[in-house]
Amino acid sequence: MSKLTGLQRKLVYLVGILVLFIPIIVLGRPDEGRTATGGDQGGTLARMRREYDLKESSLGKVDPASASMNLVLLGMRGIAANILWQQAIDLQKTKNWAELRAVTESITQLQPHFLKVWDMQAWNLAYNVSAEWDLVRDRYFWVKEGLKFYQQGVLQNQKYGEMQWRTGNTYSQKIGRADEWKQFRQYFVKDPNTEAFPSGLDPEINPEGKDNYQVAEKWFRDANRTIDDTGIEQHVMGRPLFRSYPVRAMIEFAQAKQREGVFGDITKQAWETAAIEWSQKYGKEEFDSPGGMVHLEVTEKDAKEMQDRGEDDKLNWVYRYQDMCNYRYWRLRCFVEREQNTVDARRDLYNGEVAAAKGDFVEARKLLESGMEKYDTMIRKYPELLEQMETVEDAMVAMIAWRSVLQIESAPVPDDYPLKSVWEQNAGSVGVFNTEYIRRKGLYNK
Amino acid sequence: MGSEFDFSGALITYISVIGSLLFAIITVSVAGSFVVGGKTGPLAVLSILRLAVEDWLSTSPRRIWAITKLTILEAIRRKALLVGVVFAVLFLFAGWFLAQPASDPEQQVKVYVAFVMRTIAFLIIPMVLLLSCWGIPEDIRVRSIHTVVTKPCRRQEIVIGRVLGFTAIGGLLLAIMGVVGYVWILRQLDAKGRERLVARVPVYGKIAFKDREGVDQKQGINTGDEWMFRSFIEGGTKSRMIWNFEGLDAFNLETADHLPMEAGFQVFRSYKGNMDRGITCQILVVNPDTEKRAVAPLVTSRDQAGKIEQTDNAFEVKEFRENLLQLARRVVDDEGNELDLFKDFVSKGRLRVEVLCLPTQQYIGAAGPDLFVRLPDKPFVVSYAKGLLGIGLLTLMIVVIGVCASTFVKGPVATMTTFFIVLVGATGRAFLDTIVDAKWVGGGAFESIYRIFAHLNPQTELPSTLPFKVMQLVDGAGVGFLRSVRYLFPDFKFFDLTPYVAYGFDVPWTNPVPPNSGALLPSLIITAGYLLPWIVLGYFSLRLRELEAK
Repeated sequence: MSKLTGLQRKLVYLVGILVLFIPIIVLGRPDEGRTATGGDQGGTLARMRREYDLKESSLGKVDPASASMNLVLLGMRGIAANILWQQAIDLQKTKNWAELRAVTESITQLQPHFLKVWDMQAWNLAYNVSAEWDLVRDRYFWVKEGLKFYQQGVLQNQKYGEMQWRTGNTYSQKIGRADEWKQFRQYFVKDPNTEAFPSGLDPEINPEGKDNYQVAEKWFRDANRTIDDTGIEQHVMGRPLFRSYPVRAMIEFAQAKQREGVFGDITKQAWETAAIEWSQKYGKEEFDSPGGMVHLEVTEKDAKEMQDRGEDDKLNWVYRYQDMCNYRYWRLRCFVEREQNTVDARRDLYNGEVAAAKGDFVEARKLLESGMEKYDTMIRKYPELLEQMETVEDAMVAMIAWRSVLQIESAPVPDDYPLKSVWEQNAGSVGVFNTEYIRRKGLYNK
Repeated sequence: MGSEFDFSGALITYISVIGSLLFAIITVSVAGSFVVGGKTGPLAVLSILRLAVEDWLSTSPRRIWAITKLTILEAIRRKALLVGVVFAVLFLFAGWFLAQPASDPEQQVKVYVAFVMRTIAFLIIPMVLLLSCWGIPEDIRVRSIHTVVTKPCRRQEIVIGRVLGFTAIGGLLLAIMGVVGYVWILRQLDAKGRERLVARVPVYGKIAFKDREGVDQKQGINTGDEWMFRSFIEGGTKSRMIWNFEGLDAFNLETADHLPMEAGFQVFRSYKGNMDRGITCQILVVNPDTEKRAVAPLVTSRDQAGKIEQTDNAFEVKEFRENLLQLARRVVDDEGNELDLFKDFVSKGRLRVEVLCLPTQQYIGAAGPDLFVRLPDKPFVVSYAKGLLGIGLLTLMIVVIGVCASTFVKGPVATMTTFFIVLVGATGRAFLDTIVDAKWVGGGAFESIYRIFAHLNPQTELPSTLPFKVMQLVDGAGVGFLRSVRYLFPDFKFFDLTPYVAYGFDVPWTNPVPPNSGALLPSLIITAGYLLPWIVLGYFSLRLRELEAK
């Protein structure tokens, strides 16, 4: 038994407490943020947090709920997160969507700086949960939930351009390219929930009432800017490809307008801007390669000069990067789509296909033949466009529509007609293009 | 329905378990005492039993009440009510943690109600568990129990008083938290959300299926969903989902101009079709006796006076939402005869409803509870109160187990014991039943270990050589042990009433509605069933143990 008296014991405890305070103060003294005036820079842990950018405030917006939850759980955060993940999976399996949303929220409160968590859960809401619902307006609700989730993730991880890119990608891909793209794009500027959003705009999704691709472009630009500012590289894809997304969003915007039958100044202007941005800004951006710093805008003259200077290796890398981004095709496409002949060709083909779908066969034949003529002119002028299936598909679908009109009118297919060479080269794949024709017909009939 | 509570089966099991337990205890006590004390041994056992009977016959409610009061005061002195502060803090900040799917009141209500009820349960249960497990051991430790047992106070009165005291504390907190939680829910929800706070009163029917050839089937088609709860029928074929409703005559339908129903069907599209419109379904009403059938017209609009203006023969399914259907009373059959739904189709309170999917190659799916007759709603507060009663019963069970465990072991051990019983009862009971009822493929612990190392799947036959037989024998003994202790763990799944409240249903009295497992009467019966044996156990333990032990 101890020979110490009660008072002595208490004094020993007190000394023990004071001794233990020393390492706590040395290690854990907080950073008071007065470094500029030579104030206290905090203990070892505070210094290390600053050095490795691990401070809550340096990672992104501090969420008081998240921070306090992590403090309250002490060391049990991992266990709690595991249980919540399991719960989320079970809730999804049993289709408890509201609770799933709440649990995913809690998971991110526990792991606010774990990018994959945000990505996986936001994707899950926007892509998987939305697809479980039958009505398109319900699906759109869950796509928005996913987007809101991504945006929260961006706020909490402001140093990572990757999160901004993913947000932009969902705006562009999920709203603009899903099976329900036509309705989604309409809902984007006129929300179906008129009770909650009488103005037709969900302020968290599209406060300014822009096109989804325009919003996506902004997010892609922000992503690039964040990476430039912080120097934290993304791990989604090759840098040259990643940097092309803002311009790609502009191109997609122009293409979407064409898909919707809008061929006026807006579309032409969009191609115009995309052409300049692609060749003058993106094309001039320097990328690191094993052959040295390269940019993608290299004309034949530039290439010749590089060869003369003995920079064959560098030129090789330029071509490899160009192939990676399909640079030459998109450059040409942007320039071609600005031309009046292309605009007219696309307008005629679109209106012809719509007329055919609606049963106005006389008008359809006239428009389709006119469009095919102009399209043929375009291809003759820029034959390299045929290297891309997209160009072939538009031509083939137009010809399938034209042939079906001829069949209805019991008129024979003439021996010679515009785009005949394209038809003959792709005759073996008519079935594939026919599926696309039926799909488009369905859209035109709505 | 699948998970009905088998009342008579439960009673038989209960009597047989309690009977064999009593028989085993008395036999072992008599035999043991004979071995130790010779002829006088069994007499000693008998005298203990006689004393016990005397004790129980002279139970005094006044003394029980005195102990109850003391227990309540003691719990308050131990700052048990501080848990209310935790509750208050949680609710102050709860809004931060909860998702607010702003534009969907239906989803909001579910999240908030579930949050309130789970928080109440998670706060009260640990508190009463700790209080009940530490009360008697602490009395013994500080010797204050001597001041009680030396008075003319029977041991069962101590146990019952303790149980009542802790339950009262739990109940008080439950009531306060319940009221605060209710107000919190109301404050969190907007006007639209508050409208969703209802307790729907469903009358369920028994489901059956017909396949595409029109042949009766127990199940429909599985369209690839991992969750097998619902099954599907194919559109444009003879495939049907059939509900047989009974007891409809108990409700006053005579004055109504329609039969209110609600459907929660799911949709599976094998092709996209028209994305702007839902999949259409039709409802047929069939008289189960005469087999007279007709398409049920569904009310689509009413005039300002509330009279039916328009009806439609089909409806579009809205997935995961309330599909309210009003089956108009006036029905016209194929021959153009005008019929009355209640007089011509409801026979002795029975009605058959057949649902078919109209578009070909599209599917709709349902489970039994996905179509029901919706009687007038009860106020939300009714289901909320029933839900809280479920938590209250769970609290009572934990208090009983905790107090009784604390009569024969010390505080920490009693806490662990009670925690373990609650944990198994709440999460592992179904697993335990699977093992004990030999529904588990792949053998017991040792066999499973062997199979893992030998890379054998559970279906592979094992050789019938001696080592394997020994292994299976040992495993069998383990399962036998589990079988004997299975009923020590109450099946807490019946106590989970939260989903009903959160999803806006009245809590059912008799049978759980799948996929939920809770119901009020089974929880009451289970509580009552466990109460007496545990208290008797606590009495004997307190009677026979050395109270001087520290």
